[in-house]
This record gives sequence, structure tokens and C-alpha cells, in this order.
Amino acid sequence: MTAGLSRRGLAYAALIAAAGSVLAAVGDDYALRVATLVGIYAIAAIGFQLVFGRLGLLALSQGALFGVGAYALALATVQGGWPPLAGLALSVAVPALAGALVAIPVARLDSHYVALATLGLAQLVLLAVTNLEITGGANGLYGIPPLTVLGVDLADGWQMLAVVWSGVALALACFAWVIGAGRGGRLATLRDAPLAALSLGLDPARARLLVFAVAGALAGLAGALQALGLGVVSPAVARFDVMVTLLAVVVVGGRGSAWGAVVAAMLLVPLPEVFRGLEQAYLLAYGVMLLAAVVALPTGIDGVVRRFLPDLPAPTPPPAAPKSRKISVLRVERIAKHFGGVQALDGAGFDARAGEVTGIIGANGSGKTTLLNIVTGLETADAGVVRLDAIPLLDLKPGARAALGLARGFQHPEVPAGIDVLTAVSVAAGPAAGMAALDRVGLADRARAPATALGPAARRRLDIARALAAGPSVLLLDEPASGLSASERTDLARLLRDLAATGMAIVVVEHGMDFLLPIADRLVCLEAGRVLAAGRTDDVRRDPAVIASYLGEEPA
Amino acid sequence: MIETTVQLLATALALGSAYALTALGFVLIINAVGAVNFAHGDLVMAGGFVAVALSLLVPEGLPVPGLILLPAVLAAMALGGLGLAAVAYVPLRRAPPVSVFISTIAVGLILQHAITLGAGPQPRVGPPLVGDGLVDLLGAALSYQQIATIAVAGILCVAVHTLLNRTRFGRRLRAAAQDPEMARACGIDLRVTVGATFALAGALAGGAGLLLSNQYFVTPTDGAMFMLKAYIATVVGGWGRIWGAAIAALGIAVFEVLVAAAVSYLVAEVLLYLGVLVLLMLRPQGLFGEAEGRRA
Amino acid sequence: MTARLDLDGVTVAHAEGVAVDRASFSCAAGEVVALLGANGAGKSSLVRAVAGADPVTGGTIRLDGADITSLRLEHRVRAGIGWCPEGRRLFGGLTVAETLDVAATGTAADRERAAARMLDLFPALADKIDATAWTLSGGQQQMLAIARAVIAEPKVVLLDEPSIGLAPVVLDDVFAAVRRLAGAGAAVVLAEQAVPRALAVADRAVVLRRGVIVLDVPADRIDPGVVASAMLDAGSGGA
Repeated sequence: MTAGLSRRGLAYAALIAAAGSVLAAVGDDYALRVATLVGIYAIAAIGFQLVFGRLGLLALSQGALFGVGAYALALATVQGGWPPLAGLALSVAVPALAGALVAIPVARLDSHYVALATLGLAQLVLLAVTNLEITGGANGLYGIPPLTVLGVDLADGWQMLAVVWSGVALALACFAWVIGAGRGGRLATLRDAPLAALSLGLDPARARLLVFAVAGALAGLAGALQALGLGVVSPAVARFDVMVTLLAVVVVGGRGSAWGAVVAAMLLVPLPEVFRGLEQAYLLAYGVMLLAAVVALPTGIDGVVRRFLPDLPAPTPPPAAPKSRKISVLRVERIAKHFGGVQALDGAGFDARAGEVTGIIGANGSGKTTLLNIVTGLETADAGVVRLDAIPLLDLKPGARAALGLARGFQHPEVPAGIDVLTAVSVAAGPAAGMAALDRVGLADRARAPATALGPAARRRLDIARALAAGPSVLLLDEPASGLSASERTDLARLLRDLAATGMAIVVVEHGMDFLLPIADRLVCLEAGRVLAAGRTDDVRRDPAVIASYLGEEPA
Repeated sequence: MIETTVQLLATALALGSAYALTALGFVLIINAVGAVNFAHGDLVMAGGFVAVALSLLVPEGLPVPGLILLPAVLAAMALGGLGLAAVAYVPLRRAPPVSVFISTIAVGLILQHAITLGAGPQPRVGPPLVGDGLVDLLGAALSYQQIATIAVAGILCVAVHTLLNRTRFGRRLRAAAQDPEMARACGIDLRVTVGATFALAGALAGGAGLLLSNQYFVTPTDGAMFMLKAYIATVVGGWGRIWGAAIAALGIAVFEVLVAAAVSYLVAEVLLYLGVLVLLMLRPQGLFGEAEGRRA
Repeated sequence: MTARLDLDGVTVAHAEGVAVDRASFSCAAGEVVALLGANGAGKSSLVRAVAGADPVTGGTIRLDGADITSLRLEHRVRAGIGWCPEGRRLFGGLTVAETLDVAATGTAADRERAAARMLDLFPALADKIDATAWTLSGGQQQMLAIARAVIAEPKVVLLDEPSIGLAPVVLDDVFAAVRRLAGAGAAVVLAEQAVPRALAVADRAVVLRRGVIVLDVPADRIDPGVVASAMLDAGSGGA
């Protein structure tokens, strides 16, 4: 993956260098200023790629944070008398902090509320800078001192261009750092597979905090560079137009791609100059391009480039099986749960012992999936107790339960886009453990395939591998055999028996009796949220009440 | 004292009735297709400009120019709503909701700047609904204009309510919004219901634009502010609740006018946005929860 | 006699894999066919394909001899298919009267007559006519869902697990209503897990096992043991 990225990265860098040399050959002062502006927007857009592209949140505050950076610099230098370099530091720190503060209220919100909350914040920033006396009101602030180092004025001409494009390089490095060390996979999982992410113990709030802070810092840096270059700030830097430009750059560049954003900035930012004299007609052009991109080219420039320069398969690490904690029993007792007027669970429970496969059966709507959700923490119980050996679980968050050794497979696995199978499987562990898990489920040969390229049966195996990679002591699966072919069922049955033999407790909700009966040590039969029968498999399957219930007849 | 209060309330109601029409159209689209229409405020603004443009066509000195133009503005903006659906929604039916977010931001930009190019950035005055005149109510002097604004918005609201609840077509619109697949199973063509919803939303936005354009003028940059208020009203009124949003919009206008009178318009705006942030932090699901019918 | 509804080699595949594999059966006017099978056997997938909610990947569906395989969902109701889905899926915010009006066809007078007929057929709805759907009890909701499916007088009625979540007393009413529908001349396909009750009202039983029809016999000649083993999806398990 890294090799492919650097291959595309090289192509992009070559393109940028070519543009730079054309500029050096024929560029006048004016072209220089435009090229500087391109770099400034590229920096802020790379930050927005993290929030919008990688985290999937339409946070419309990025443009306002650009303005916060510009004003922080102006206030520090003009009103506070700070040296420009210190002002620059402040204008990175303040929007980073502001971004982190934004992340806290939006940490729990759905995306249509995130857009409103961030829009409200942007509006507050604009009102503040337009109306406060200290920010100079509608006129803004003048006389920002130039950034000089050893007597050289860096805020002008070629020096400024160099400073700004060093900033772009820094932004690209920041971007690579944020998605490095497995975080890219975790962000993609949080974005596209939120339930799986929760039960794997990924923390959405922490991820949002980090991403918003870095995005804010980059927006602030860009805003400050803009203010340094112009020597003035006005409320225009906090207007929605900035946000719209960033959004257009990110969408045209290709969601999630930092290089794509740089190239799109080179394409879009000079437009206002093309339309010079026609007021803000460039925004009309942005609107048209944004619409065209979203409708006709949803993957953006980077999607096209990727088609010609796909990722080269990276070598796979040697597998190393994770260590799992030894437990003896997961006890689930007297769980009650209602949805509106419907009592989904009414005192149900089960024991899952280490080294055994426990099957949960029951008709549609008998509460099986709800029970799994409560054990893994995706839903809260109205009453009841869940204990892993002596540790009560119900008050713990899903992440804490995952840390104690619970892992969960889903009936309809969500698979993140834009990452390969091994990355998707390794989100809760290292790549070595991920590789070992892929070996276990028989997906090792597809480790470097894009996760979304897998068929339904393979997605299910990916889901199980993702759970196994963390080294769970309890594995809970929801209808793992549905939709599998006969040979795939045989493989899965063998896998589950093998895992049980290593001392893992396996819980399987399943309809396919031919799959479940041979592998289950114990069965629990639910009916209308209660346990109808529980015990050794052979006893439960002969229980007349179970047979009657499973055929849909009320027991006498 | 009492006349000031009556005067303020009349101002608030007149503004609020236009906000309510705006919010009504905004939430109808959310219900029908599950997408936030970012261009909705720009439709309101465009409605104002359509009214301004049409008023140049009618002879001067008509007793009720705005009322005469109202049907034409509604019809033109209904077409505008259909156009919005055609370019920003239909191609993205199967794309994730955020795509429609972005496509409508794009359409909003296009509207705003196309109108700036065509009509210039300066504020324009729309046609008055009725002629000048004042009515005395409890000592307060209310203009014919205010009263007509409230009356027109009220009539439009009643008309929407009647359409949605008393006609088969409206019931089918509601059914399609609640469960599109089962609506199809009842023989309902979703292309018709979605088109009709966008047309209705466009018409309501046009009506709001006409109502606002005389007393508050209309500027090409106004769209974002109208959209924000409709958005806030939708969150406060309970996501997906049609009349919740309309009433919340009315409340927002009352709040704005009263705070603006007591302190300043700036403070009113700041408090409004702060209030939304606090609301979203404390109750992420909105003040009154989301609309019924999303469970199951 | 040509069958009302005739399925020939219908295959349904979706993201999860092949749900129904070359299913063929038919249902005559006035006949109730019980479509039996364990959870996940493909009953709902088959019913959804016949209703037009999901496309088929192979095979043909005929209604009175006419090929309706590629007819869109909203046009199948006019062709004569009524569908009552699993989980009822009512329009939560509409009242009983509004729901019936939305689903009925013809002039206002026609629709009123049709609604009155439904209230005769399902008396439990009569005094709830202005109640919104989500406030109804489970049994009333099921009645309304069936009424919505049959108000346009379809030639074929598809009922998907109408027994889920209903009390035994209510179930008697539901299954009695199913029989009445067939008595009025409709071809009724009843997908069910409640085997004995379904068999009691059915003329024929079609058993699905992992997407494949394994049994198609008259209801009175069915061997409970065979059904049980197919339902339990176990080679040798059973009653």
C-alpha cells in the first residue's frame, strides 16, 4: 500500500514541480501571488480531507477556523505586539484547540446535526469578528508586521511562496501521520462500520478529537499565512465562501485524498482571477464544478488517477497469533429489555463456558440478536446481570468489554471502503495478529485486496477475522452461516470447533440446525424473550416444547 | 406599553409567518427524501427576486400588486423546486445522503451568484402585497402590509395542511414519505410524490420570498440565513415533524424580534446560534425527539 | 385451469448470496398455499420477489398467464398483486381511514365503498377508523396491513408471516380472514412459521429449505415429520 501511495505521490509531486517550474520560467508577481494562495488553500483543504474525507463528517466549521487562524495572528501581532513567529504559533494553537472543542459537542451527533452545529459555530465566529471592537469590526485589522528571519522578509514574493509550500509539505506530512500507524484503517472503520468499530473497542470520541484538532491546526496555519502575506485581515476570511472553496477543492480532488486536494486547489483557486471583473462569479463556477463533480465524478481527481496508478500490493507481515486472556465462563442472567410497548427480552440468559460452543436458537423476534447486542454493549438492558467470570459487564462501555476479551461478529457485516482486507482486519490489533486471523479464516491470499471487493461470504469471514485479531476470550456470532455454501459452512464449523478447542467461549446465534447441531455443546432456545429450554444439545433438541415452539405452535 | 407590545408581536408574527413557510418546505423535503436541502434558503431568496422581476412587468398603481403576483411566484418557484430535484437529487438518489448535502450547497451557490450577476449585489424591494395603510389595534398602528403577510402565510399553511390531510394526493405524499417501498406497493409512483414535494417546497419558498421581499428587502446573499433558520427550526421542532418545524420557526422570529427590540439584532442572532449548540449538546436528538414512524 | 399465479424457476440473489434457487410452484384462484420454512429459508425473499420489491435474477412470474417478472413494484398492484409484508410496515402517522384510502383505487365513492367492505371483513378496525396506525394494537395493526394489501381486490394476495407477535386469540381471527380472502376468489400465498395453523387454513403446502423447494403437496396429505425436519433444517432431527 505504501509503495502504491508513494507511486501516486510521486506522480502528483512531479505535476506540482512541473507547475512550479513553469511559474519560475514565465511567472510574474501576480502569478506568484496566485500560486501562494493555491498553497494556502491546499493546506486548509488537506485538513478538511481528514474531517470530511476520512472521518466522514460534513463539519462546516473548517472555513471559520481558517478565519480564526488569520485573526489570531493579527490580534497577537497588531493588538498584542507579539513577534510574527509567535503569532504564527498562536494561530496554529488556537484553531487546533477550537477544533478540539468543536469535536466535543459533535462527538455524539448524527451527521445532519454535525452540519448544523458546525454551521452555527461558523456563524458565531463571523458575527464575532465582524462586530467586536478588538477585531476592528467590518474593516478588520491592518499593519500585520512581515515575518522576517535574519533580516530576510519571508512574507513576500518567492520567499512567501517557499514558506507556504513548505507548509503544504508539512500538511501532507501531518495527514500521513494522522492516517499512519493503523489509524487510517480505524478511521475508515469508524466511518463505514460504526457498530463493528464500537464492538472492537475503537473510540469514536478520541478519533474525532484528534482529527478535528489537526484539521483545525492546518486551517489556522493556512489562515495565518494568508494574513501574513496580505498584511491585513478582514471578516472576509471567516465568510462561508472560504468554506465553500474548501468543500469544492476536497470533492473535486477526491474525498480522503490529500494529494488530490492539492491538485484540485491548483485547479480551482486561480479561478477567481480568471473571472476577474465579474465580481464573485468564480463562486458560480465553483458551484457548477462542485455539482458536476458530485454527480458525474464522485471519486474526484484522485479516483481517476487511482484507476491508472492503482496501489501496488505491499508485502504481508508474518502472522503472529495474539495472546488471549483465559476465562472460564460468561454468565448472562435475567436480562429484560423493552422497545416501546414490546417486551423483546423478558428474563432471558445463558452461560457460555470456555472451550465450548453455545448455540442460541429461537424464532424470528424471540430476542436473540437483542441479547447479543446487550452482552456486547451495543444496547442497554433494562434489568439483568452479565458477568465475565467475576467482572460485571453491564456498566462498561463496549470498548471496555472488548478489552476484557469480548468480540462480536455481525449478521450483516459492515466493511469499510478505501482500505485493504488486512488493514480492515488489523484495526483492533497489529498487522501480525491481523495476518494470523486471516490465516485462520482462509482469507490470507486476499490480504491486500480492497475490503469492499470481497463477496458476501468473504465479508463474513473478514468480520470474524476482525473480531479474532484482537485475541478474544469470548466470540459471539450472529447467524454466521447464513448465505454460505455447503463447503463454506463446513469450513466455518471446523473453524469454530478449533477456536473452542483453544479455550475460547463461542456463542452462535443461528437458524441453520444442520450447521449448529453438530458443533454446539449446549443449546439455549429462546421464545418471546424468555428461555424455553437450555442444556446439552441432545437434550434440548429432543425437548417437546422446543420442537413445538420451533414449529410455531404454542406449547400446551 | 401595550401598543409597543402589540406592535412588536405583529412584526414578529409577520416575520415568523414567512419563516414558517420556509421551514415547512425545508422539512417536507427532509421527510420525502431524507436529505437536507441546503439550497432552500436560496430558493426563498430567488422567490424574492422573481417577485421583484415580475413587479416590473405589472403596471404601476395597482391596489394589490403582491397578491396578484403571488400565484405567478408560487408557480415559478414550484418549477424551480422541480429543477432542483432534477439536478441535485434525482442523479444522487442512490448515493449517500451527504452527496445531496453537497449538491444542494452547489445549487445554492449557483443561484446566489447567478442572481448577483444578473441583478447586482444590492438589496431590492419586492412588491407590497397590498396598498399602504394602517390599522389601529389596541393603540398600536399595524400596517396593511403586516396584516396581509400574516394572512397570506396563514392561508398558505392552511392550504398545505388541507392538501396533506384532506386530499388523497396529500395522503399519498405522506405515505410515500413514511415508507417509500410500501407506498410503491400501494401503487404510488415515487417520481410523482418526490417531484410534487420539491415543487411544493419550492412554491412555499417562493411565497416566503415574496412576503419578505417588501418589508425586509431581498439581497442575493440572504439565502444562507433563511436556510439556517429553517434548519434550526427543524431541529428544535423535532427532526421530521412538519408542524413542529413551522411552529419553531414562528418561535424563532418572535425570539429574534423581541431580543432585537430589547437589546439588539446581533445579540438575538448570537443567542440563537449559541442556543442551538447548547441544545445539540444536551439533547443530541433535538428538543422534541425525532418524528414518529422512524422506528420499526 | 390455468393457475392464477405461476412461478417458474424463480431465483433471487442479493448481497448475502442466493436466497431462492429456481423455485417453481403455482397457486390457483380460491386456493391458499402455505409457504413454509425455517427462518432464513428464503420465504420472505421469494414473497418480496413476487411482490416486485426485489428483482429476480432468473425465472419467470406469471399472473393469469401474463409475464409480470419485470413489472415494477408500483405497477404490480394494478396488475393484481397485493402484498402484506413481514413486520406489517404500516404508514405510522396515517389513520386507519387514510391508510385504506391511500391503498384503494377508483373514485372517492369507490374508495369509500372499498373501505366499508374492509371494515366488514375486519370488524376490529371499525371503531378505530380515526386512530393513527402506530397507536393500534398488534392484532389491529396486522388486520390493517392485510386490509391495505387486499383493498384493491388483488387476484393474488401475498401474506408474509402475519402471525409474528400476535396472541393466539388474535391469530384465529387473522387466519379466518385469510380463508375468507380465498373464499372471495383470491389466490393466497401464506408464508408462515406457525406450521399447524397455516396448514389448517391451507389447501397446499410448499416447503422451502435453504432457498430450494423441497416439498409441494396438498395440505391434508402432509407428513408433519417431514415438514418438521425440513423446518428444523436438520437431516434427521424432528418430531
